[in-house]
Amino acid sequence: MAILTVLWEKWIEFKHEWQKITVTAMISPILYLLTFGLGLGMDKMVDGHTYMAFLIPGIIALTTMNASFNAIGMSLNVQRLYEKSFDNVLASPTPLGQYIIGQMVGGSLRGIYAGSLILGITFIFGAPIQVNLLFFLVMLLNGMAFSALGVMAAIVSKTHADISRFSTFVILPMTFICNTFFPVANMPPLLKGAVQILPLTHSSGLLRQISYGEPASLTSFCILIVYTIFFMVIALIKINKSKNL
Amino acid sequence: MLEIIAIEKKFDNKKVLDNINFIVNKGEFFGLLGSNGAGKTTMIKLISTLLLPSDGKILLDGKEITRNNVQIKKKITTVTQEYTLRGDMDVDEIMEYQGRLYQLPREQRKKDSKNLLEFCGLMEHRKKRVRELSGGMKRKLMLCRALLPKPELVLLDEPTVGLDPFSRRQIWDLISGLNQQGMTFILTTHYMEEAQMLCQRIALIDQGQLLEIAPPQELINQLGNIAINVVTPVGIQQKYFKNRERALDYAKNLSDPFTLRETNLEDVFIKRLGRGID
Repeated sequence: MAILTVLWEKWIEFKHEWQKITVTAMISPILYLLTFGLGLGMDKMVDGHTYMAFLIPGIIALTTMNASFNAIGMSLNVQRLYEKSFDNVLASPTPLGQYIIGQMVGGSLRGIYAGSLILGITFIFGAPIQVNLLFFLVMLLNGMAFSALGVMAAIVSKTHADISRFSTFVILPMTFICNTFFPVANMPPLLKGAVQILPLTHSSGLLRQISYGEPASLTSFCILIVYTIFFMVIALIKINKSKNL
Repeated sequence: MLEIIAIEKKFDNKKVLDNINFIVNKGEFFGLLGSNGAGKTTMIKLISTLLLPSDGKILLDGKEITRNNVQIKKKITTVTQEYTLRGDMDVDEIMEYQGRLYQLPREQRKKDSKNLLEFCGLMEHRKKRVRELSGGMKRKLMLCRALLPKPELVLLDEPTVGLDPFSRRQIWDLISGLNQQGMTFILTTHYMEEAQMLCQRIALIDQGQLLEIAPPQELINQLGNIAINVVTPVGIQQKYFKNRERALDYAKNLSDPFTLRETNLEDVFIKRLGRGID
């Protein structure tokens, strides 16, 4: 089964680079925790919860997003444009749908790994949040959506710089404005409307609801699933139909 | 049997292949020769589905080769002109990955990997990452990888570039042996000796057009079996003759130094395609 082959490939990638992957996954979230959590918001309250309790789910969401997107988008871009090793996959009898799903699962697992590291660190310092199986399911879904976006971006990119630009224009803004560091409700109406349709807003919201012990929004689940399927279908169409991949 | 039917390929509205038609028989060793930019690599990429045609179709055993035709793609492997190896994987992992991509049983991929790596002298390097290998080793590894699934059709796009003469001979032995066992090969190369030695038929391609398909000896016969190189003040000039007697008759009247030799495929290439080998 091609999905297992891709997962094996992602495992080999992780096995060779796990120290670098681990350190890289932790740097930004720890800096965010220090700067926003301990530095700026130590004594603040948001919606009746401490700012730290508000912040941690947002950081887990953005960490999962970044780790999943980078694990697939950057890696596949290098394989396609620099190493050209993607050519061997494309020429092989690997069903392309399964290949994309394998990438999504692999990227999502990398996202869960990164998110769990941050979760572990926050627990050591007594994070005031609840975590259950549903929390991990949201991390998985968030990772799947952004891994699918990673596949799509890697396939659409024409140069190495394109994928970095994609990160700068799409991933970086989401990191800061999508319900991660401050509530969407505090935004100007026009921007609020735009932010409310972005996927990270919903994964942050879902993780926060679960961590507060509130019921998780079914609408947000559905939106994440729709994004995942949308990115996956675009990537599949692009790989299948592109005459000069 | 591979059928190339009315293939046309354009890049940004520029035709690089125009109405290409040919058939490669099962078990044949078929060569594609042409100067740089003639369209050989494009043809290989079209067969392997790395590129899709602008028009026409390609059939293997009567079934169209498409990106999603998994059953047909199982029968084809490719050695591309560029290195297409994961730099972070070691030699064993590259072979294992290929075995998994082609869904080979575990025992088969282990056993056949070992045999191929041993034959190509890569066993002692099997724990080295690809980025630590020399160019020649990478080239051999790509061939091992392509042969691992025991495909019906192997596409070889300049497979021996960068190999030393010993390694090149070794590869020739390996692939000609496999061809005798029934494996079909399509080869592009700029080594005319390689094409002449291995290929049963050769297609000459120039600027996206198919000029002729014939066995190497037939192409040579058309030009003349005997060549005379005449060293003139403006350079070395070639003259071709049907037989040695005619060549010697011509040579009698020469005042410049000359050498007499058998015509080869390189002469055909230069004469037919109008320029030297890049």
